[in-house]
Amino acid sequence: MDDKARIVAAGRWLNHLAATDRPLLAAVLGLPLAAGALLVMQAMLLAGLLHRAIVDAAALPALLPQVALLATILVIRIALSGLGETAAVQFGEAIKGRVRAALVADLLRRPPTWTAARSSGALSSTVLEQVEALDGYFTRYLPAMVQAAILPIAFAVIAFSVDWIVALLFLISAPLIPVFMALAGWGAEAASRSQAAALNRLSGRFADRLRGLVTLKLFGEDAAETARVRQASEELRVRTMRVMRIAFLSSAVLEFFAALGVAGVALYVGLTFLGLVSVHSTELTLAAGMFLLLMAPEVYQPLRLLAAHYHDRSAAIAAVAEIERELDGLPEAMPPVAAIATPAGAEAPATLELRAVAVNDPTGRQVMTAAELMLDPGARIAILGPSGIGKSTLLEAIAGLRDFDGDIRIDGRALGDIAEPELRHRVAMLGQRPRLFAGSIADNIRLGRRDADHAAIRRAAQLARVADFADALPEGFATQLGEDGLGLSGGEIQRIALARLYLRDPGLLLLDEPTAHLDAATEALVLDGLTEFAVGRTLVVATHSRAVAARMDKVFRIAGGKLLPAPKPAVADRSVGAA
Amino acid sequence: MKAILAFAPLLGRLKGPILLTVLLSLVTLFAGIGLLGLSGWFLTAAALSTLGSAFNIFAPSAGVRGLSFIRILSRYGEKLSGHDMTLRLLSDLRAWLFAKLFPLVPLARRYGRGDLVSRLLADVEALDTVFLVALGPISTAVLAGAAMTVVLAIFLPGAALLYGLLVFAAVLLVPIGLVLASRAAGAEVVAAGAALRQAVLDGIDGHQDLVLFGAIDQATNAAATASQQLSHARRRLGLRAALAAALVQLLAGGALIGTLLAGLAAREAGAIDGPLLAGLLLAVIASFEASAMLVRSATRLAGAAAAADRLQAIANTAPAVTEPAAPLPIPEGGELRFEAVRFGYDPQHPVLDGLSFAVRTGECLAIVGPSGAGKSTIAQLLLRLVDPDAGTVRLNGSDLRDAAGAELRQRIVLMTQDAPVFLDSIRANLSIGRADAGDDELWRVLDAVRLAQFVRGLPGQLDTLVGEAGRTLSAGQARRICLARTLLSRADVIVFDEPTSGLDAETEAAFLAELPELTRGRTAIVITHAVVPETFDRVLELRAGRLE
Repeated sequence: MDDKARIVAAGRWLNHLAATDRPLLAAVLGLPLAAGALLVMQAMLLAGLLHRAIVDAAALPALLPQVALLATILVIRIALSGLGETAAVQFGEAIKGRVRAALVADLLRRPPTWTAARSSGALSSTVLEQVEALDGYFTRYLPAMVQAAILPIAFAVIAFSVDWIVALLFLISAPLIPVFMALAGWGAEAASRSQAAALNRLSGRFADRLRGLVTLKLFGEDAAETARVRQASEELRVRTMRVMRIAFLSSAVLEFFAALGVAGVALYVGLTFLGLVSVHSTELTLAAGMFLLLMAPEVYQPLRLLAAHYHDRSAAIAAVAEIERELDGLPEAMPPVAAIATPAGAEAPATLELRAVAVNDPTGRQVMTAAELMLDPGARIAILGPSGIGKSTLLEAIAGLRDFDGDIRIDGRALGDIAEPELRHRVAMLGQRPRLFAGSIADNIRLGRRDADHAAIRRAAQLARVADFADALPEGFATQLGEDGLGLSGGEIQRIALARLYLRDPGLLLLDEPTAHLDAATEALVLDGLTEFAVGRTLVVATHSRAVAARMDKVFRIAGGKLLPAPKPAVADRSVGAA
Repeated sequence: MKAILAFAPLLGRLKGPILLTVLLSLVTLFAGIGLLGLSGWFLTAAALSTLGSAFNIFAPSAGVRGLSFIRILSRYGEKLSGHDMTLRLLSDLRAWLFAKLFPLVPLARRYGRGDLVSRLLADVEALDTVFLVALGPISTAVLAGAAMTVVLAIFLPGAALLYGLLVFAAVLLVPIGLVLASRAAGAEVVAAGAALRQAVLDGIDGHQDLVLFGAIDQATNAAATASQQLSHARRRLGLRAALAAALVQLLAGGALIGTLLAGLAAREAGAIDGPLLAGLLLAVIASFEASAMLVRSATRLAGAAAAADRLQAIANTAPAVTEPAAPLPIPEGGELRFEAVRFGYDPQHPVLDGLSFAVRTGECLAIVGPSGAGKSTIAQLLLRLVDPDAGTVRLNGSDLRDAAGAELRQRIVLMTQDAPVFLDSIRANLSIGRADAGDDELWRVLDAVRLAQFVRGLPGQLDTLVGEAGRTLSAGQARRICLARTLLSRADVIVFDEPTSGLDAETEAAFLAELPELTRGRTAIVITHAVVPETFDRVLELRAGRLE
């Protein structure tokens, strides 16, 4: 029941998408219908031609105009259906493009903590593969459905003007097909649903083993698992074929009626000609009889088409369910995100105040219960402590990236009262795992300030000691960075991320383990740069490193969910802090 | 295309089912052609017969009924045998892929991350239907066109050549042309798709940075631009297919008009009679049924060809490590030694540089350090998933490169940070560690990792199915299942790579504290980010590829 409601809701969402582009939708649905109308004319012409040639024994030259007309109609009909397909392609692409844009906008509008808790691979495949799976619904299923609903009935009505018995045969058998298919389907449905579930389970198992390939190899299970994969697939085949014997009955039903239609028309019309059946007051001509015979297969063709494309609907519905599951809901079409204007002007150092701040880490564990902190403008502090104690979580809360209880104030104003653009301008943060984007080193630094010129980028890069390694690269700052900055070490990535930060002009600077990947010598150089940049700014650094802590004015540690003052390490040695 | 041919041996094994399927679909098609042709002939003959003349109505009406019946049955049989064949091909392909992939593990470094699995799945799927939706229909259409040409050559020789040429063009030239013309557009679609995936991944993985820099709009626009490019490429591909479909129909229409003209001329010359003309024309119309789906077949064929290319490319890569020609046995014991080991995926940026350390048999050692420092690489070197660029890794004095892979994996076992709980029973999950372990051994190891009580409470006990990345288990329980599996093996050396990732701090601490006791008597190397408990014998700190 619940399933049904979900399918209905998914169908509604898809139709809503289709309705956003009415002119194209009209073309996609209307052009095949127009082609269908021409099919009737084509059959009439051909039947008339045969009548004149065979019954009237007309000479070839006399028939040529009609042949030319037939050819013309044929070409127009093909052109119309070609245009219909073209429109369908445009229609599908337009809708998918809009859905993708809406999904990405929707994803990025969520809090970063939401995206961080999910697999980026699964989310990106939602945007790509699942949206692609919607295609068949718009380009094939919808037109096929409209054709199946209208054309058989329309053809039957036209047949009425020729012979009411044949028309009745069409009218009764065509709508009956779906009924009988459903009847044959009912028996098979339960079976085929459990079948589909089994197939899914097996595909899931296959994917599962593929993901665990390394583990299987490490335990020497290669040969055994290969044999098991084959065995499981074979078992499924045997089971599937048992079900398929019933499931394919529905296609046999379709075939039965289509063949019955042709055979019935042929026999009935033939017998009428022979005078063995006479329900007619007027005599049936060969043209009329031939027309009915030519139309007979066409009456069932739209239903066949629908049957062939029905799985496109199921695939789209499944994709909608997948999108809904990944995103906890379906996005509405959304207006584009407006650019956030960065307020200009020199900045004074910020004050930072934490009162009774409680915050949970990503696993839901409360890492801070009552953090208190009061920083004057320009204060520089370090928070020391081992991994998992809650340093990053606290910094994220101060940066407005994570929900918290209690009171966080910057410049005396509550965090919630500061507008997003202003907050981003005032507070800069370096996360523990900064991300480099596809593009050059310079592009990546420029993320800090869009309008930064080359000189500004170079200055920031020197301060963050990026220039030390970038200048040694053959293409320097223009070096393209691949996925996840492949080819750069963790320390190099961190330094680029720092340079990015140095392009900004924040009053409060939050740094999470800024030197974690650096050797002692580089760490000292990077700290020199940081000290220079931090002049006139308030600075909070979460770190393991005593060398970092030694350069700060004050040191805190986290214990029992609170921030406690700690002695400043006198010597900048490099043992692991508090571990 | 060549890559598809590389799969010919797999198709060759299914010769019987393939022939049966093609035969049945031909019978279906011929029954349809016969049915419409015979109906047209019968109808016209009846119309021409004068009242009272003796017209044998039984033969044609029996023929019409017989052909209908044959068509219904053969269509049913065709569907069944086609699906049976597809499922057989699916089993063969999956087994083939596994057999090819195992020697290449680990793959991730060379083929990007994440999407490899979904790409492999999609590629296998595109290939297993290649016969059902592409090769089958195309060969049926070609054979049917040839047969119809022969029929015309007998009854209406004037039409045979034109019909034959036009149908040949429709069922063979247009699909081939489409496959060729789609190649560039298809490559563009793949490239645009990859660019869009990159843009989306950038947005998701870099979400925090984008928010911090107020650059969400930039990322959204970048993804929108990439999405438009993908739409554009797909549109080009789709328009080509629509054009090809129209071309097929035009050729079929031309064949119809040509046959009509030839038939009318022959009829005027008295070469054929009216009923035969009608019958042949309707048969020609029915013969086009085979060409209706051809364009779709061609598109699927192009997709399958690309999938085959990718699978073959993976299957033909050289493995990361090569087995020694004459493997030497490894001496008893669990003593490890790294001697000036250097390794880098990119030689310019070695992950490990001159790393040397030794571990005694039975020692429990922790290796800590920031991510990217090369910790996981140590584990990969130990299991010979990669080989050092310089230096040597030794187990009890023998170079790992001289040992057989199978023996090495019996002696050293690794629990990776993403070690999965397989979608299977608990028993099957544990038996991966030691295939011949009895129930009492399984319970003993479950007891050791403190899962016995939990498993006893499950309805199926050891045979309970656990599933999808251990979804019915908590993260901690899933790690413990993997730990139990690892402990069950008879290896002398156990390597743990971030065994506690994904666990909360308390579970992590409890898990780590028990490790030295659980691995007593064997060498244990634990790579971790976490606070190392004092129960460990030694802690090594790795920074930038060296020990501090």
